[in-house]
Amino acid sequence: MDAALKAIAAPRRREILSLVHREELCAGDIAAHFEVTWPAVSQHLTVLKEAGLVDERRSGTQRLYRARPEGLADVKAFVEAFWDPRLEALKREAEREEKRTHGNDD
Amino acid sequence: METTTETTRVEREVAIAASPETVWEFFVDPDKATRWMGIDASLEPTPGGLYRVEVLPGTVARGEFVELDPPRRAVWTWGWEPGSPSPLPVGASTVAVDLVPTDSGTLVRLTHELPRDTAGRHAEGWEHYLSRLAVAASGADPGTDPWLSR
Repeated sequence: MDAALKAIAAPRRREILSLVHREELCAGDIAAHFEVTWPAVSQHLTVLKEAGLVDERRSGTQRLYRARPEGLADVKAFVEAFWDPRLEALKREAEREEKRTHGNDD
Repeated sequence: METTTETTRVEREVAIAASPETVWEFFVDPDKATRWMGIDASLEPTPGGLYRVEVLPGTVARGEFVELDPPRRAVWTWGWEPGSPSPLPVGASTVAVDLVPTDSGTLVRLTHELPRDTAGRHAEGWEHYLSRLAVAASGADPGTDPWLSR
């Protein structure tokens, strides 16, 4: 998850992901979209690959790249992971508060 | 331009042995809000009022209250302030909380609606989706959650 977050923190990498989400592209096609050097694009692709966000396959002499939708995990799972520990904390604190303010009722 | 936007809905529930009145305060009182979901909070619990919670140092959730029906239901918009590590814009999603009275206290139902591009082919929509992932991922990092390290 950390790797995916870091990978998409860079705007250029998000642009690359957008490109290869729409269609499978070879490295040259991707580089042609940006005014940066091929090694820079290659480095971005490596980061995306290692984060599990992009698949690479070889076709002849070409390397083709495509976004892995499952690599993005389910956004819902992340949002759930955000709220779950907080709701547990809410439960703890609200119950503590209830005991504190209504403790004399028992 | 063919963007199809539907919402992704996250629903969570937690049963709390406390009255809805007690639980309600934890959503609208800054001192109590920081006891469960952040390190600093500015809350103006009135429709159009500010909702601002510094969840982690430098990561600030911001929106405005949309609906308040104490102690039953609260709705507010949700996004991250500029400068936060995640790019979800302020007001881009909506959180609704329903407090349902039960025999043993309160059932809290939290619904977080995130717009989501379904066409996916559209770069802008895809960017949107990625932004949401980044938000959730940063917020979900338990290692840096000040609450859990207390």
